[in-house]
Amino acid sequence: MTDWLLDPLARPFMQHAFVAIVLVGAICGAIGTFVTLRGLAFMGDALAHAIFPGVVIAYVLGGNFLVGALIAAVLVSLGIGAISQNGRLTNDTAIGVLFAGGFALGIALISAQRTYTKDLASFLLGSILGVSRQDLLLTGAVGLVVLVTMAVFRRELTLVAFDRTFAQASGLNLWAFDQLFLLLLSLAIVVSLQTVGNVLVLAMLVTPAATARLLTDRLRVMTALSALIGAGSGVIGLYVSYHAGIASGASVVLVATGVFGLAFLFAPRTGAVTSRLARRLHFAHPERDVFAAEPTPGDRSLPAG
Amino acid sequence: MTTAARLETEDLGVHFGARSALEAVSIRLDPAETVGLVGPNGAGKSTLLKALAGMLPPSHGVVRLDGVLVRRPNPAVVYVPQRTGVDWSFPVSVLDVVLMGQLRRRTRFLGFGAADREAAVAALERVGMDRFAGVQIGQLSGGQQQRVFLARALLQDGAVFLLDEPFAGVDIPTQELLIDLFDRLGKAGKTIVYATHDLAHASRSSDRVLLVNRRLIASGPPAAVMTAGNLRAAFGGQAIVLVEPAPAPAVGQGAGAER
Repeated sequence: MTDWLLDPLARPFMQHAFVAIVLVGAICGAIGTFVTLRGLAFMGDALAHAIFPGVVIAYVLGGNFLVGALIAAVLVSLGIGAISQNGRLTNDTAIGVLFAGGFALGIALISAQRTYTKDLASFLLGSILGVSRQDLLLTGAVGLVVLVTMAVFRRELTLVAFDRTFAQASGLNLWAFDQLFLLLLSLAIVVSLQTVGNVLVLAMLVTPAATARLLTDRLRVMTALSALIGAGSGVIGLYVSYHAGIASGASVVLVATGVFGLAFLFAPRTGAVTSRLARRLHFAHPERDVFAAEPTPGDRSLPAG
Repeated sequence: MTTAARLETEDLGVHFGARSALEAVSIRLDPAETVGLVGPNGAGKSTLLKALAGMLPPSHGVVRLDGVLVRRPNPAVVYVPQRTGVDWSFPVSVLDVVLMGQLRRRTRFLGFGAADREAAVAALERVGMDRFAGVQIGQLSGGQQQRVFLARALLQDGAVFLLDEPFAGVDIPTQELLIDLFDRLGKAGKTIVYATHDLAHASRSSDRVLLVNRRLIASGPPAAVMTAGNLRAAFGGQAIVLVEPAPAPAVGQGAGAER
């Protein structure tokens, strides 16, 4: 067992891979909270695909892929906003058009390269074993920017996600905060491309957050838990990938999906299995029902601000 | 008698693209006044409230708060949205929602202090919801949800309260709480405007009723405004039976003749 755990850590490329997946799992897990709460899973998937041409252009020109991806992400999110301003088309139609169009442009550009198949595969599925020290520093720096910005604007981001009308009445600029959120989301996606790849990044955004939502009713706890589950699934997934010899991105996503399945079945109170058990126990312990018992004045639970 | 209006509109019109939602509405709302905004669905009640709150730019005409042109939301105007516009499965507690009313006042890098939380709990006490402070909002009934919104509004402590359909789908104790709250806020000099399609509520708990259907049809004390003719103009004949106990044949014929 010790060998199973320590053997991969002795290899430098695996050390890099572990740091990368922890960073990516945590960043995507945290921002994924808002992706799931706002029902923006399709948007996340679309952004991941639509920034593809930006990455390819940067790669072909020999520039930094992060810069290329970010330019593409900003153009795409502004484009989606502009198209859905036209009253005849819905938001998800706009997303669909730009999603497919952008992705096709990326494939067209990369197909002109000589190393077409290999390049395409590494973009789509990630190449976590090729993560360099420089890549790690970049991922860490971007992650820090995303997490600090989320922390600073947490109340605004929460209010815009929960109650848009009231947010607007409170004087918040909805457009500005939507764009800020999409920018943070794009950053999270971009630094995940090398690790988990274009196709599977959606799982890192949605699955840990969905799992966390099943386990808590508090936004702050959910965000922390989602980041933790993302990072944890990453580490376990890498171990499985190393020992079973399967693709790392797929392995990580399968572990995250498995954790979600466990939470869905066995989460306290809300799990499919546990809630059935709880219903049976309900008459034995009616005092656990918050509405059945009159709470005493000292019972008031105030969350720390 | 030329005291300043708290909130007023002059020839206010709001268009969404080619569709006109409101036309030529000129109203004045005074301090210590409770005003029921009555009209059928799609009459532009929500639009008028949003325009008063500075959330929708007028297509023509103006909105003034204490004589000053309203261009954007103002902290003195408190807006209470419809309950149905919110995702109640959201992972926040009752206290979290009430504290959203403090957004303008807190400092960015510090969390809410003990004083903020005490004020929020005090607001919850005023609506009888303090013992639910830590409860996730998805577990509340419709009336309780409305009370949480009211507590959030009270915490904002404005001069004008604009409420969109506060009576819709709430239990009777909450309806009575609303009426009592309007009364107290009115005595404290606050201006209250609430939208409703319920004529009975409007006549029972308003100093004045504004009857709208894309334009202002009538304005005045409930008894003076809720006449058969006005209601027919606003509702198109369908709602008259609700307020006139003895259906006069003349009214029925009149409504029939109009169709």
